[in-house]
Amino acid sequence: MIVTTQKPLDEILDFISPYTNVLIAGCDGCTQPPRGLREAKTLSQLLELGGKLRNKDFNFKTTTTAKQCDYYLTTSALKPQIEEMEAVLSLACGIGVQTLAELFTEIPAFPVQNTHFMGAEEREAGILEERCVGCGDCLIALTGGICPVARCSKGLLNGACGGSKDGKCELNSERDCGWILIYEQLKKQGKLQNLKEFRPPRDYQLSAWRVTT
Amino acid sequence: MNKMASQKDPAQVEEVIDEASGKVYLSPCQIACPLGEDIQRNHAMIALLPLDGQETINQIIKIGDEIYEKNPLFPVCSYICGLCEKECNYKDQTGAVRRRMLVRFLNNYYLPYLETKPPLPPPTREKVALIGGGPGSLMCAYELSKKGYQVTILERGSQLGGALRYIPHYRLPTNIIDTTLNNLVRIAHIEVKLGVRMSNGGKTLDDIKNEGYRAVFIATGTPNPRPLTIERERVTGEDLEGVMFGLNLLWDINQGNVSPHLFQGKRVIVVGGGNVAFDVARTARRLGGDVSIVCLECEDKSSKDGIPADIEEIEGSSEEGIRIIYSRGVEEIIGEDGKFKKIKCPRCTSVFDEAGAFNPKSDRSDVIYLESDVLLITIGQAPERAFFQQEGLLDEKGKLDIEQLSLMSNRKEGIFIGGDVRRVGFVAEAMRDGMIAAESIDRYLRGKDLRIGREKEYESATIPKRIDYKPQPELVWAPVEERLNFEPFEKGFALEEAVEEARRCLYCGPCKSCKGCVVLGLQPKIPEIEFNEDLCISCGNCVYYCPYDAAKMESPGGVHFDLAACRGCGLCVAMCPSLALELENWEGERISTLISQLSSETKPPKILVFRCQWAASPPLNEEPAPNIRVIDLPCAARVDTFHILEAFQKGVGGVLVAACSEEDCHRGMGSREAQRSVVALRERLGQLGLQERLHFCTVAPRYPEEFDKELEQFSQKIEAICSKEGQK
Repeated sequence: MIVTTQKPLDEILDFISPYTNVLIAGCDGCTQPPRGLREAKTLSQLLELGGKLRNKDFNFKTTTTAKQCDYYLTTSALKPQIEEMEAVLSLACGIGVQTLAELFTEIPAFPVQNTHFMGAEEREAGILEERCVGCGDCLIALTGGICPVARCSKGLLNGACGGSKDGKCELNSERDCGWILIYEQLKKQGKLQNLKEFRPPRDYQLSAWRVTT
Repeated sequence: MNKMASQKDPAQVEEVIDEASGKVYLSPCQIACPLGEDIQRNHAMIALLPLDGQETINQIIKIGDEIYEKNPLFPVCSYICGLCEKECNYKDQTGAVRRRMLVRFLNNYYLPYLETKPPLPPPTREKVALIGGGPGSLMCAYELSKKGYQVTILERGSQLGGALRYIPHYRLPTNIIDTTLNNLVRIAHIEVKLGVRMSNGGKTLDDIKNEGYRAVFIATGTPNPRPLTIERERVTGEDLEGVMFGLNLLWDINQGNVSPHLFQGKRVIVVGGGNVAFDVARTARRLGGDVSIVCLECEDKSSKDGIPADIEEIEGSSEEGIRIIYSRGVEEIIGEDGKFKKIKCPRCTSVFDEAGAFNPKSDRSDVIYLESDVLLITIGQAPERAFFQQEGLLDEKGKLDIEQLSLMSNRKEGIFIGGDVRRVGFVAEAMRDGMIAAESIDRYLRGKDLRIGREKEYESATIPKRIDYKPQPELVWAPVEERLNFEPFEKGFALEEAVEEARRCLYCGPCKSCKGCVVLGLQPKIPEIEFNEDLCISCGNCVYYCPYDAAKMESPGGVHFDLAACRGCGLCVAMCPSLALELENWEGERISTLISQLSSETKPPKILVFRCQWAASPPLNEEPAPNIRVIDLPCAARVDTFHILEAFQKGVGGVLVAACSEEDCHRGMGSREAQRSVVALRERLGQLGLQERLHFCTVAPRYPEEFDKELEQFSQKIEAICSKEGQK
């Protein structure tokens, strides 16, 4: 999932202060927690309250889309709704906001989220952590399904740096050492010999800006 | 159908069928109860008892009447049963909910009332005879009487009660038996004939038939002690002076025929490892004896050969100074001059064989001798067989020939047999036989099929998710030096303790089989989740949050709701990011309308309270202050962020959310999740400087003063904020 956090309400109010009719567009796609209809409605209520404090009345309309980053789906879902609007607030990740900006060039699209990374959630503690950097050259088949590029602070490919302590990273004592996780996992699977295999430096060209389907 | 019958009582429990297995879905305690008591419902009602006043007593009588309907011997069972506790889902957490003590608590108020409880309508139907005056017959008589039959119990002895009369008074006081049975006889119009012998020249079944009885239930129990055997050979020496059967001692002592110092200065050995052997041993100890128990079984209760007696019996008797010698059989009873002297005890190597049958094996080369003055044999009981033989009720192998579902004899029509005589078990199990036989007798006399629709299979409800589990209250026993007599020594629950313990119940079973909240008037019916598949985005939040596993994620597929498992807390509704869920009676739209209405009728500074209905129950009748309005929710979990914000938009000055404390939450994690979402919303309101207007508090249910205090503090704060604003 794509991990986002909410922007402060004041910043959002600043974005929309020149406008009155604003569409709040949720996205049911990959953000966690999903910022769909509920969040669209809650945000409209908070912004209305905030607007009142600034002596400003907004006219919000709330909606949501399946995947805001999909040009085709978003055109179909939002086109009829966006036309009378002066601005749109997007609850999607940065990709969704940019899709809106490209699709509806006349109407400014503003982000209400800060987009962080591709990650996973530990629900009980409410913690979201990065799992994938999108390097374009997935090597986790050799590392027990754990990515050293994302999980090791230094992105090392051939084993631990030697600085980890009690299983934690020397750069951040709260962060698990990625290579220790890999070692434990391979040990459970009886595949410690994988560690002896040399992994050449990454081909950064593979981290491409464009691919074709 | 007449009009009355077609109007179903909304508080009437319903059977819930598990979707996956097609079986009846129920809490494990209720499956375990042979009489099908509505345990969860009783606990819900005890948990919400008011803490003082006449209303408490009225409520207790109401609960008692509900249990009585299912089990007219419940005051007795509350001393000796506890089968439900053995299956309680809490057992593996911090210990079972002490149902037995909860029911015993009801006795305090219910027994005085029982004396005045109105009798059943007078019988109008056929005469039915019940042979034996024990729990099985009594239950059968009650059930038949409810159906309008005219019942007569024929008892060999001089009083009703059967096996109950063998239980030592320190465990089951006589007055409890007497009050319960005397009133049952009165309430159910039972004709009782005492001193009626059935075998050896006594009455025959033909005699009974000729007296006009149309059906007979035989529950003559197992009044005969089983003799000692070793590898199927009878052990000699039982006729020596000083050798007795424990069962006879229990009978005699309860009849008052025994000197209180019978075993003063004597060494006593009790042979046997069951609860009755422990009754005998503890009785002997109370008669002054120095007592040891010898049993075949080993100390480890989890082993296949583990001692069968309850752990409380084992602990209690060791406190009283009784020794237990495990894994020893008796090969020979040795005497001197006609008097008992010692037993020869080989080591028992195995009690039950591979197939689980009682088939003890011993190592006769490993032998000890145990000396004492008295030997009490308590290794089981057997029925009186002569009567069944004479009446031709046995099969070729000499066993009772009974159709097991209806309990009718395969040899004679209209003759039903049950209780210990059929299979030795607990009191409640004998009573279940009585209940089954009553249903069969009714079907038989109406010419209906005896078997159709009677086989039921159950699916046990699992334990709801919780953050932590409250500890089990310790049983309080009088110290040993004060309890070596025949007075009960287990301290019962006071009202507050009973309420506390009932609150520990996790309500594992489905709501529709309980409806405790409906009978208490908390809600008109059990609300159902309404699931809008068009809006669902399959994010799985509901699956994660549901404390009862009612929402499941299927792969491939999506979210699936099992309404049988749903308890209607509304947590999933409040957590659904796509607004795809609604809770019946607490729909988003309905709450919004209520907010508008309450807000318009309230005077400023307006305060709106969202409150868990359990947190402030029993409901308060006081008129709220003119500036305060309350919305009761099925659980604080249902509180919705946009309802809170809506209130502020409608001009409400402050919103208070009152939940039960985490540990008291009826709905698993409802309270905690409500707190989490309120805290998160408060944080966002903080960005607008409005955080002080929203407050979350936990209050102890049933203590209105706690809620009042929170509300008062909050309204003072809101008044201060609003007046400051007014000045600006």
